[in-house]
Amino acid sequence: MPVTILTTDSESEATGARREGDALWLRNDELLATTGWEIKPEGVCRGDLCVPLPEDRASALMAERDGASWLDIAGFAGYVGQDVAHDDATDTWYFGPGPEEQRGQLTSLEAPDFELPDLAGQMHRLSDHRGKKVVLALWASW
Amino acid sequence: MRGADAEREFIEAVPLDYPSLLDPRFVVSELYNTRNVPAVFWIDESGVIVRGNDPVYLVRRNRETGEATINERYLEAVRDWVRNGPSSIYVTEAAETQQRVGASDEANQQAMAHFRLGTYLDRHGHHEQAVEQFKRALELKPENWNYRRQAYNLGNADEYGVSMQEAIQTVGPFYAVPLELPEPPAG
Repeated sequence: MPVTILTTDSESEATGARREGDALWLRNDELLATTGWEIKPEGVCRGDLCVPLPEDRASALMAERDGASWLDIAGFAGYVGQDVAHDDATDTWYFGPGPEEQRGQLTSLEAPDFELPDLAGQMHRLSDHRGKKVVLALWASW
Repeated sequence: MRGADAEREFIEAVPLDYPSLLDPRFVVSELYNTRNVPAVFWIDESGVIVRGNDPVYLVRRNRETGEATINERYLEAVRDWVRNGPSSIYVTEAAETQQRVGASDEANQQAMAHFRLGTYLDRHGHHEQAVEQFKRALELKPENWNYRRQAYNLGNADEYGVSMQEAIQTVGPFYAVPLELPEPPAG
């Protein structure tokens, strides 16, 4: 059964994923496609960030199988402090923002940027309104 | 009704000349550390928050009579800010703004993970599994009313063993304390 992998901005399936206890092993190509992380010589990388793994971690979290590199993404997420939620029945995994992301840490008063659609599907970005004052009102119909 | 369909009638009921955006994954709530709606932020020309996380209703509608009341006092404050910018008396001190929009904690991040997973599961027809994830989010962050209201809205309070009223009594304030709205100087 394929494993469904969710991140803050993607939903995808990993058909080759392997479950072993608490571990979720992903082949490097599927790792990149579903989570954005990738095993490289310098560490486990995403964008400009590379996380070098100490030897004991590397041997626990990385493996060579079937001529490919694999990562235990669940174990790795725990190591880098990426929040994980998991549903067993559907084998769906959610991986929260990584260490490189802002994670709602408003350490300055700069308004975090975001991009969202309107009813017609047109995308709008907060930073498009730079140079104007913005009243940002959050509401719901509950 | 779910997602955009649930909000369409509200958005289309008023002729808006500003963008009204859909945020099914609660991205903005996460980025701005809000726990309930309404939540209003003022962002200046350089992208800096100058008044933050204010639980203000701009319009309130009486559910029985349907009569709408516009919050004129608040709109006057907005107009004052538009005219006077940083010297408006309604702009809050940076320290106070910082305190209101504060940093998210670890429990909130983990709760968000469960909430996001629950949202996905519910949307894909796995309601029972979704409820389990929402419960875990609420255990970690019982005071996050966005989570509770959305979870109860997708199912019902019985699934959580606590009614909204009970939660309000045991968990504590439903809304953030509104920011003060100083009286405009006379004349």
